[in-house]
Amino acid sequence: MTDRVSVPDDILQISDLTVRYSSRPGTPAAVDGVDLAVRRGEILGVAGESGSGKSTLAVALLRLLKRPGRVTGGSILFRPRDSAEVDLLRVGDKTLRGLRWRNLAYLPQGSMNSLNPVARIRDQFADVIVEHAPQRRGELAELVPRLLGTVGLPARVGGMYPHELSGGMRQRVLMAICIALEPDLIIADEPTTALDVTIQRVILQTLSDLRNDFGVTLILISHDMGVHAQLADRVAVMYEGRIVEVGDTRQIFKDPQDPYTRALIESIPTIEERKAS
Amino acid sequence: MTKESEGHRIDLENVTQEFHARGTTSGFMTAVDGVSFSLTSEAAQVVSLVGQSGSGKSTIARIILGLQKPSSGSVTYDGNDIYRLSRSASNDYRRQVQPVFQDPYAIFNPVYRVDRVLWKAAHKFGVAKNRAAAEERIEESLSAVRLDPAQVLGRYPHQLSGGQRQRIMLARVHLLRPSFIIADEPVSMLDAQVRKSFLDILLDFGEKYRMTTLFITHDLSTVSYLGGEMMVITNGKVVEQGAVRTVMADPSHPYTRLLLDSVPRPDPDQRWTDRITVDDKGDQILVDQP
Repeated sequence: MTDRVSVPDDILQISDLTVRYSSRPGTPAAVDGVDLAVRRGEILGVAGESGSGKSTLAVALLRLLKRPGRVTGGSILFRPRDSAEVDLLRVGDKTLRGLRWRNLAYLPQGSMNSLNPVARIRDQFADVIVEHAPQRRGELAELVPRLLGTVGLPARVGGMYPHELSGGMRQRVLMAICIALEPDLIIADEPTTALDVTIQRVILQTLSDLRNDFGVTLILISHDMGVHAQLADRVAVMYEGRIVEVGDTRQIFKDPQDPYTRALIESIPTIEERKAS
Repeated sequence: MTKESEGHRIDLENVTQEFHARGTTSGFMTAVDGVSFSLTSEAAQVVSLVGQSGSGKSTIARIILGLQKPSSGSVTYDGNDIYRLSRSASNDYRRQVQPVFQDPYAIFNPVYRVDRVLWKAAHKFGVAKNRAAAEERIEESLSAVRLDPAQVLGRYPHQLSGGQRQRIMLARVHLLRPSFIIADEPVSMLDAQVRKSFLDILLDFGEKYRMTTLFITHDLSTVSYLGGEMMVITNGKVVEQGAVRTVMADPSHPYTRLLLDSVPRPDPDQRWTDRITVDDKGDQILVDQP
């Protein structure tokens, strides 16, 4: 693990965030008063079982929450490199559009449904770049092969359609689109779920490169504790809409403080013989 | 029909399946490449076939089920080529070898009630003398997979969860008591808890009714949970086989080692130190030394 600067420089400060899917009294909040700081340049893992609120947290951060879900309280302060601090929950749509992709990018779960099936890969890069950084339109021809190269894909992928690519390749295309405009923060929601183990490993490796080579901050949402152990600097554990524990990855695994964290680690199905080796 | 006590066997010998493929130099791609193995029901067991997507594992399932005649090689059932069975022998084979597929949504026709798959099976294979007896058998089979007959009989597929639908396919297996189950990724669309209960029922049936299961999966933790035997397949070839415990503890083929190494270990002190790269078709994996 790399040394961290002694004064934490938080890129994101979530305070008392509450999200509900129903306004009926008695129904629990999906995200329930969450406080969380994300340090610039770190990989922060968010762990928890399905239904714990981790994906709701991600979409709330991105302001992509769909009805009937709504934020009922709290603030999310975001501090991009090149512009003033904003509260993501209170910025206008225009400012938000300006932040998306340029400062804040989203790598969704299920790359199958995230690419346009009738557009070539290079045109999908163009969509993002022309919309969010029109001054860079001229660089497209050079930029697309370079970005594909960054995630280990050959330039000819640019001329292909999504159905010609495997699931792992599509996920890497999305990663390349994510970094196209050099965002400060990427939120990756279960980026490796449903991929073969070897492809999963390539994706994780690439995510780690993005941080090491470009200094991107990464929020990595995954139910797989193995993924966090391999990649994250710190891990936040969610349970029933609350964060029960946040700590350095090593501390979370070796010395969990919360009983739920302990249960989560103990319940990991292991390949039994490995323990002996 | 052969006596149960003697057991049945399925033998694959040098099975190869080629498909037409545009853009390749030969015009063909080899999905299954000279695969040979045997399944016997004499000693009921689980044999897992492990490989990543595109390795040819589902093609093997289709070939054994008689859905895809291989380009070359043979599949025999008690010594007889399954693609040349008489009608009655073929019926017997189709009863003795039952599939459970991956997608609990695609298997059901949405306009029919779910119990149709059970009634059809009961009728086709004559598991009971009359309707009342068949109904009794169906209810018994549903209970065996921990489904409440009153909750599922008469329902339509969209009214049941994915886990319930997969258990109906297990109830069908229970109803027919085949010698072999060919299960192609049956749990990959189920979440952790439902997955475990499905595997427990499958293991239980194997023991109780002496069924041998060919379990096709890409998930090594499932293989470890099931135990028994395993075969590792890559690029259409079986590269390693043996007892799950032995193969996992001491893999001999580099591909098996790579697979086992690539399961993210839940220990921050044991992070990967080497890197892997995949070629641009996504099917060749190379390990880069650190």
